[in-house]
Order: sequence, then C-alpha cells, then structure tokens
Amino acid sequence: MTNKTLTAEIDPVTLGVIAGSFNAIAKEMALVLYRMAYSSIIRESEDLGAGLFDPEGNELCESDSTPMHIGSLPGYIQGVRHFLGDDINDGDIILHNNPYYGASHTPDLAIILPIFHEGELVGFAANTGHVLDAGGMSPGLMVDVVDVYAEGKHYNAVKLYNKGVKNEDMWRHIFENVRTPKENKGDVEAMIASAKLGKKRYLELIERYGRKTIQAAEKRWMDYSEEMLRKEIEKIPDGVYKAPTGWLDDDGRNYGERLRIETSVKVEGSSLTVDLTGSSDQVETAYNVPYSGSTLPATYTIVRAILLDEANSDVFIPQNSGIFKPIKVEAPYGSIWNPKPPASCTARINQVQRLADQINLALSEVLPDKTTAGNSAHVHFNSYAGVNDESGNYWVYIEVNEGSYGGRYGKDGLDSVDNLVANTRNNPIEELEMRLPMRCTRYELRDEGAAAGKWRGGKGIVRTWEFLSDTLFTGEGDRHTDPPRGVYGGQDGLTGAMTLNPNTEREQSLHAKLTNFKIKKGDILEIRTPNAAGYGNPLEREINQVLEDVLDDYITVEQAKEVYGVVIKDDLTVDFEETKELRN
Amino acid sequence: MIRLGVDVGGTFTDLILINEETNESWVHKVPSTPADPSEAVINGVTEICEMAKIHPSKIDQFFHGTTVATNIVLEHNGANVGMITTEGFRDILHIARHKRPYNFSLYQDLPWQKYPLVKRRNRLAVPERIGAGGEVLIPLDEKKTREQVRKLKAENVDSIAVCFVFSFKNPAHEARVKEIIEEEFPEAYLSISNEILPQYREYERFSTVALNAFIGPKTSRYIKRLEEVLEDMEVKSSVLLMQSNGGIATAEVAAEKPINLLLSGPVAGLIGGIKAAKNAGFENVITLDIGGTSADIGVAPNGEMRMRHLLDTRIGQYNAMVPMVDIDAIGAGGGSIAHVDEGGIFRVGPQSAGADPGPACYNRGGTLPTSTDAQVMLGRIHPNSSLAGSMEVNKELSEKAFEEHISSKLNMTPLEAAAGALKIMTHNMVNAIEMNSVRKGYDPRDFTLVAAGGAGPLFACDIAEELNIPNVVVPPFPGITAAMGLLASDIAYEKVHTLWGSLTHPEVSHIKSVIGKLESESIQSLKADGLSDEQTVLRRVVDCRYEGQGYELRVDAPDGEINEAWVNEVIERFHEAHEREYASRFPDQEVIAINVRVIGIGLVKSEKEQLFVKDANEEFSLDSYPKYPVYFWNKDQLVEVQTPFIYREDVPVGTTLAGPAVIQQKDSTTILPPDSTATFDAFGNIVIDMRTRIQKKFNAYAAAAK
Repeated sequence: MTNKTLTAEIDPVTLGVIAGSFNAIAKEMALVLYRMAYSSIIRESEDLGAGLFDPEGNELCESDSTPMHIGSLPGYIQGVRHFLGDDINDGDIILHNNPYYGASHTPDLAIILPIFHEGELVGFAANTGHVLDAGGMSPGLMVDVVDVYAEGKHYNAVKLYNKGVKNEDMWRHIFENVRTPKENKGDVEAMIASAKLGKKRYLELIERYGRKTIQAAEKRWMDYSEEMLRKEIEKIPDGVYKAPTGWLDDDGRNYGERLRIETSVKVEGSSLTVDLTGSSDQVETAYNVPYSGSTLPATYTIVRAILLDEANSDVFIPQNSGIFKPIKVEAPYGSIWNPKPPASCTARINQVQRLADQINLALSEVLPDKTTAGNSAHVHFNSYAGVNDESGNYWVYIEVNEGSYGGRYGKDGLDSVDNLVANTRNNPIEELEMRLPMRCTRYELRDEGAAAGKWRGGKGIVRTWEFLSDTLFTGEGDRHTDPPRGVYGGQDGLTGAMTLNPNTEREQSLHAKLTNFKIKKGDILEIRTPNAAGYGNPLEREINQVLEDVLDDYITVEQAKEVYGVVIKDDLTVDFEETKELRN
Repeated sequence: MIRLGVDVGGTFTDLILINEETNESWVHKVPSTPADPSEAVINGVTEICEMAKIHPSKIDQFFHGTTVATNIVLEHNGANVGMITTEGFRDILHIARHKRPYNFSLYQDLPWQKYPLVKRRNRLAVPERIGAGGEVLIPLDEKKTREQVRKLKAENVDSIAVCFVFSFKNPAHEARVKEIIEEEFPEAYLSISNEILPQYREYERFSTVALNAFIGPKTSRYIKRLEEVLEDMEVKSSVLLMQSNGGIATAEVAAEKPINLLLSGPVAGLIGGIKAAKNAGFENVITLDIGGTSADIGVAPNGEMRMRHLLDTRIGQYNAMVPMVDIDAIGAGGGSIAHVDEGGIFRVGPQSAGADPGPACYNRGGTLPTSTDAQVMLGRIHPNSSLAGSMEVNKELSEKAFEEHISSKLNMTPLEAAAGALKIMTHNMVNAIEMNSVRKGYDPRDFTLVAAGGAGPLFACDIAEELNIPNVVVPPFPGITAAMGLLASDIAYEKVHTLWGSLTHPEVSHIKSVIGKLESESIQSLKADGLSDEQTVLRRVVDCRYEGQGYELRVDAPDGEINEAWVNEVIERFHEAHEREYASRFPDQEVIAINVRVIGIGLVKSEKEQLFVKDANEEFSLDSYPKYPVYFWNKDQLVEVQTPFIYREDVPVGTTLAGPAVIQQKDSTTILPPDSTATFDAFGNIVIDMRTRIQKKFNAYAAAAK
C-alpha cells in the first residue's frame, strides 16, 4: 500500500488519537462562538466557521457549522500574510475581512490568532462570523452598491491586540462606525474567546505529543483526505462534462438583463477542474463573487458532497486542505466569478449556490446515483432594519430563507432546508416577535405541487411577514426567472417570488434583489422560495407513493392523474384499473 | 422498610432488593423481554423475592428505570398522532430549524421529514393567534376546531398534540381546544403545549409536545400494565419511575408526561455512581458506564448532576426541550470493532459486533477483532479463568482476527494491534470525558472516576492515568449500578415558565409572583403524591443570559425572600456560570432572566446505607491465586507482567492490595495496574489509588525531556 511510506513517521495509533483531538477542538471552538455570540445570524443561524491551520494557512480541521465559512479561512490567512508579512507575533489578535485578500465577503469578519511554540510560529486558530452590519452604505445586506468601499469597512489584518496589548483606540474606531455596535462587539468577543480556546488546545496537544508528531499527523491526515477524494475522482471516466447554461435574474440594478453561467467539469485522472469560462463579465453592483473567499470554497464543498457523501460513508473523512488539492477552478479575471477591484462583491451567496448546482448538473450524466435533479440553489437572503424611536438605535434582522433539494436516485428531494453550500439555522418566530416590530403570519410549505418525477423534487416555503413599523428592506435573492432543472425526464421546479401586499389592491410583485426598499407599517410581504426539480419519469413513480403525496397535500388529485397517471377515487383510494390504462 | 429497584435495559433487567430491618441486600439479573418488558419484571421480582425469602407483598417501595419511552422513539413505533395548530404554521415540525445533519452530503435524509412524529395529513390548522405580548390577535375559531377534531377522530389517531404559537404567553386558546377535544374525542391521549412546556421556541416546543403524544399512549399503557401485574403479585407499593432530570415521578405523573422518562436508564446509572463515590468518601464524580456497544459518561461536581444545555436535549434526532441530566454517550463498548479503512487509517468502532455474533474469542461466528478480543490478547481476560456463567474465551481466535484484519495491513504484530485498538478506544473515551469536564471548566484531577457497566472496570485505570485522575471507585456490582441508583433518588418535579425580564432592572414583584405560583403548584403536586411538609424541599433555578445573547445558562437561585438582594445574588451567580462555561464575564452587561424554574423535591430515599459486604475468605492471600502474564503500558512500551487473578468476593473488607492484579467477579473484571493500590471498603467498593502510577508517568516524561 502507498500508505506505508506516509505512516512511517507516526504510528497508526497515535495518528488516530490526534485526529480525534483535532475534530473535538474545531467543534468546541464553534460551540463557544455561537453560544456566546450576540447577533442572531451567528448564534441562531450559526453563520460561522472555526478551525485550526498550519503556518502556511493549510486547514487542519473545521467545525461542522456552515461550509462556506471555513473553506475560506486559508484565503484569509494568505491575506493576513500579504499585509503583515512576518510581523506576526505571539499575543497578536488579528481582524481581517477584505474580499480581495481572501475574505468570503466583507461582513464575514475573521479573527485570527497566531500560535507560537518555543518562539516559533506553529499555526493559527481562526474563525469567521457574519456580523449584522459592516458599516457600509445601508444596514444589514445590500446589492446595488457602487464599489467595494461602499459595502463596509475593511480591516486589513488589523491587530486588535498587539503582542497581548489591546489597541483601545482601534476598538473604539471599529465599533463606533457600525450600526449595531453592541452586537458586533459581543460577536467579536465571542470569536476571540473561541480562537483563544483553539490556541490553548493546540498547544496542549503539542505539549502532550511533541511538535514533530503533531506535524506528521497533520500531514498524514491531509494526505488521507486528498487520497480519498482522488480515489473517487479516478473512478469517473476522463472527459469534459458540461452543465446546461444557467441564468441569474439580474445584477440588482439592471432589471431584466439576465446573467449567463457556463460551467464545465473536466476530469483528468485524479484531478478535477471546473471551468467557468463563458460566464457573465463582472457586474456594476455588488453581485460579484470573491474568487478565493467564495468561488473556491463553494466548489470544494459541492465536489466533496458529491464524491465523499458523509451520509454514505462509514468512516469520518476530515474536511481539511487535502480535500482542496485535487480541485482547480478556472474563472477568467474580470468575470462575475473573479472580479477586479474595486468592484463590489458582497452579495454572492446566490451565485455560489448556483455554481454548486451547475457542477451537480454537469456531473449528472456520469454520476446519476450521486447527483440530484436541479436544486433551489439560491437563498432569499433578506435583511430588515429600522431605528428604534425611543433609543435611536438600529435594529437589524438578517434572514436566511430555506431552499429545497432536487429529486435523487432512489429518493425524493428534501423539503424546506438550507441548500448546498449553506447550512444555517432559522430563527424562532417566537423570539423574533418578542424582539422586533414584525409579525409572522405564515411559515409553511408552498401550496403548489412538488415538481414531479419518479423521485419528486423538494418543496420550498412560503413565509409571510406583517410589518408593525416602517422598515428598510434589502433582498439578496434570485431564481425568480430560471427554475431548477429536471433530470432524466423529471419536471422542472418552480421559481421563487416575493410579493408585497398579496391579494389586495396594492399587490406588487417584487424583484428578488432590492436595496433599501421602504416597507410601510401595515404592509405584508410574502416570500416564496423555489421548489426543486424532479428526477426521472413521473409515470414510473410508485403508485402508492403518489397516493401518499395526495394524502399529505404535496399534490392534488388532478395532478396525480395528469402528471403521474394515477387515478384516485373520491374515497382517497387508488383506482388501479384506470391507473393501469392511463399509465400505458 | 423493604425497597426494590428494577432497571429494565435492552438486554438485561437488573434488580436490587434491600431489607433495611435486617441490613441485608440481594442483587439479580434476568434477560429482558422487549416484546412485553413487564414479563421480565415479573420474573425478576418473583426470583429476587425467593432469594430474599420474602413475599412480594412485603415490598414497601418499588423504584423503576425503563427504556420503554426511549425505545419507542429510536424504533419509531409510537402512536398515530394528530396535531391541532395555529393556521399558517402547519409545517413547523417539517421545517424544523432548517439545518441539515451533514454539511457534505446530497443523499442524506432529514429524520424529522423521513420519520415525522405527526404526518402532514394529520397536522390540522385552525384560525387563532396570540401575540408576542399575550394579546389575542385572532380569536379561536371553535367551529373549525370542532371540525378538525372530528377529522382526526375519523382518521383514528391515538393522541392529539395541541400546539399554538405564543401559548406560553396566554394559554386560553389551547385550554379551550382541550375542552373541545374532551367533548368530541375523549379517548384521545392529550398533549397540550402550555401544560407540557410553557416555554418559547416554537419548533423545540412543538417537537417536545408531539414527541410526548407519540410515546404517550404506549408508555402509559406500559405503566398501567406494570401496575396491574404487580397488583396481581400483591405488591402493595405504587411504581415510582426515574425521570431524565434525575428525580423520581409517581406512575400517574409519569403517564401524563412520559417525555420526562427519555433518559430514565442512564440517569439512574449516574446516580448510582455518585452514591458509590460518596460512600467511598468522594464528592466530585465522573462516571463511566461501558456496556457492549456504547459508553455513557456523566460528570457530577460536588455530587450534583449537571443539566444539559437546552439545545442538546434531544433523543435520536428529535428535540425534546425538557430537563435532562447531562450524560454523553459514545459508540465504544466491549463489542466495538477494530478495522483499517480504505485510506489505511486504524479505527475502532462505532460499529459493534454486539452480542451476536459477538467478539471473535467467543467462537459464536464473529470473526472481526473487537475490544474484548484486544483485552483477551493482552491477557486481561484469561481463558483458563472464565467465570461462573460467563462466556468461555478462545485467545487463538482473537489473535487470528487481529492478524487478518489489522496486522496484515499495518505492519504490526497482533499483540501491538490489540494494544493499539485499546489505546484508540481509551482515547476516544478520554476525549469524551474532557469534552464534558475540562471543556466545561472542571479539572479531572479534582475528580474520582467511577467505573460502571460490565466493561468499565477493564478500562477505568488506563483512562484515569491518561486524565491524571487520582482515584477510581469500582462499585460492588458494576453491572447493576443503575438499579442501585434507583434506590438513591428522590421525587423531583420541575416546573418552568418563560419570564423574559431584566434582572439588571428587575420588576421584583412580578418575578416574585411567578416563582410563588410555580412554588405553590409544586407543593400541590407533592401533596398529591402523599408527601408531608417535612418531606418537601423546593429549589429555584433561573435561566439567564446577557441581553442580546441567544442562549441561556441555568443558574441555581437562592432560597428565601425574593427582593433586590436576591436578584443581585442571581446576577452574580450568572456571571460565575458564564465565566466557567465560556471563560469570560461581562459585568457591565444587562442580565435577562428568560425562564424561571421551580424543582419540587419529595424526599423518599433512605438515609440508611446500602451494604453489600458478604462473608469473605478469612485466609485471603494473593499467593493462593494463579498468575498469568498480562500486558501493561509503561512509558509507551508494552510490558509483560505476571499478574494474579483473584476473586472479588474472597477479599475481606479493609484489605489493601498492590497492583498488578486482575479482580474478577460475576458481571465484571477490574484491572489493577502496577504502581496502583486497591482498598476494599466497608460499602463493598474497590477504591483504587492511582497517584503513584501517575507520578511515575510524570517522572518518566521529565527524564525523557532531559
């Protein structure tokens, strides 16, 4: 076996023991972060990441929070290196968020702690968290932004602590220039506590096993993850696999002008390259994607999810930089996937979700039992804000509306769940209403039928808010025009929609992307997220399953007959004879 | 007083009977009968009463721990549940918290969607809405409610969960629906959200209430059946059941809120461990209960059980936001399988050979190397010394299993492979204990490790050495620690109410009236169970957080009058708790009390100690036992040591032995490593002193460093 040479430096028993510790450390770092944090986007949604890194910024372990965050931290560390070079010392606590120097996007702040052992830099403990407000042109989210400077303050490897000494002026400067100072400060304190813990635990490991052993284990585990992924890539026949052209709605300013996405996946031996050539040029709003902070991590995440599906693996394969090595992304400089500064690029979650789905669809023909039909592949990422009359303070709420998964080989798609490269949690309605001048009047699966297929697509949700005071609304959404794509004869899914004051004279259909849109007290906003697509011919769906769908109001009796060829009688049982006739 | 504890587990039903007049005690084990667990109870009670030569009617108190409720959830064979909920919120249980269990997976299932507690067709909505301030925004549509209840009746549901948003602020609508159901469909088992859990977070509350409805009918039938069979046996005592919060409930209360029984079994194990340690003179306790497939870990500073964080109170993949003692379970047991994965990594578990086919050494068809095989390879379980009633072991089969599945792939001898497998397992457990101790602000060096379960005493000293825990306690019968714990518990009912008020700027009179109400309800419940004032104790807990945070910490609040000083004391205790949990405190921040809780305790446990000391062998001497080679670790080297194999029951009270030794008994084996000593105390415990061994380890490190 090829492993022999690699295991030579460390015995297999110690190797297993150290892996358990890495894993536990990342988990513990995330736990401290989200339980201590102040803003609901971190503590309830868990829009955060945490882990340990080697001095070169290679990822050793990551928390199982939301994947977009952590895969980006190696890029942040390179960014820090760019600004600080070797001016990194024991006791430094570094804040960084520049999207042209590694950040995922501006509101994802990173706290990075260098770890020194016997005077030598041995690694980093780091985490990221999405703060409610980054001091940009508008509270919370924004799409129609003039340039990267307008989207928020950039902290280019700023030292909050320099060799253990707190930079008080910098703290004041940072928190006095955002709309949610208390929440941001609480979040940053939680991030520091989490990173300090990671540092402490890592040093304990070094004390216990020695630096050399730990380094050998790090290398071995990265090689292991890389090797496991390469094995799976090798199983795919060499070739170029192309996804159908995908379309984003618009850039949030030039409504009606759709943006093209071209995606092909080239497999050569044990390497895989995603080529995005032919996709839209960068746009004049914030609807661009930071290359190293977002385009790359999204690609790593989906390739791993397809080829090393955690649910189907009986061994734990750590997510570390080894996973990144076999994967390359070609995204032309100046395209939406790799913008040139000073283009704004803070609104990027919808594009990376679509990128993940495009890769999934490209591989559909060659990996039919590892890929899904078209996913919702979007987020209706909304922010709501206002100023409290009494205190004069801002309130900001950022909402991640759920998506749905396409039908799968042998399984229906998942309903109403965070999709693909996002994996956050929703906020309890009972908490939101006690804190905010908003009231939820509906939060359910969409009424329209699920996309048909031998295995149906998942359903999105409908959520309705009533506003109890004037509110500044920003929508960072997509997928109002191009529905999720069916595969192997399955139906396409349904597009999403946002409607102001539905079923009234004032009804107004809204674009998915709006910046600082004024909602009036008493208005109603209805959000519908896409239904994902079906997999396989609906006429092959098990008859009994179609009946179950009718009983649970996933489809109507009429849809059962028209689309599935299953005739259901008034007493809600199947008419097998007529069904047989119809299906033939 | 004659007291009986019966703990029904998956494989065995354990019993312990104590006669306090005569100071005698008996323990017994019978195979469990999963189809109808009461059968094993009948068998066990009959047999243990014969052993004690008493008639079952003489039993004064009957304590019971059961996995009935847990198994219904894990096997998903509960009731057909219907739900009445607020219009617009039919799918709260389906959407859940919209987070996937796995980050990297397209083919995973969402358990709450694949195995719903309430099918979508049975989740029916009615117009009504309570606002965030408790005000009625939309009045309850009674006509529609009646229609929906009739629909559920026509659908033949067994139970109905009533879940309205903000019902914890104003229970009127849920109360009215309850009346309507009682008129229309009195047979239905009811689970009403404000009665089960008047606490905010709609998904977690709905899930808890639906889960209660899901397990309710079967669990209450089981309890009823148990009471009947005991009545047939002329047992006069009513059944007292162990709850997840570590307190006992009467059969009546347990049948109403079976949701509180989910951790019934493991909690009793922790209490038994605490009790054993206390008898041996130790306050700070870590319990480690290792069975065939999993290990339960509990940490009890000052002998007090800690409660789980509310986000972690789930059973399987379902949230149950009820007080649960913090017990962690990991997939490491006697049957855990050692293997080398595709990428060449050496792993142990979580797959287990279970009881069937079992470890390779049992020669019952198992061919994969397990943790038990590793113990055999290291000589810790000896073929010539198999114990009465236990399995015969074949070392050659263990060796073959390690040779074929590990050695050939990793370039190590079968012995090294076996030692490695145990080391990996030990470290998995060490990690889990650290996660629950060090990482929550408790230093294991201040604790005592209690080794329970059949396999606990095999691993305990290795784990103590790794964590620098100075003492290990092995209770008299490690395999039935949970049954012992049943006899060491009091009745405890926890009542909770969401307050959501500032403590920094407190409305003292409001806090006082809410706690007052909970306290009088608690007293009533305990009175209803027939407890006197002297037997009643009330404890207060306040769930606090800093204004703006999302998750609260449980803070024990003082007794006495509720005034400004009381509030300030709660605030101070919260700062302390926050610092211990997260290593930081923010004294300038506003502190909010989210929930207040009152725990009503009914003192029923005996003050009299349980004694298990039988006549020992007066002539006891280590030399009279055979010696076999056993492998121990010494400075990361495996060393073979000739080790005596003795019988625990032979050792007289007060004896102190120096390791190495293997101490055997019917349901367990204790490994005493070199440089440790074991003292056999008056309560039947083995108390192992690890300090010399730990000191030698540090000396060796220091020498190596030079």
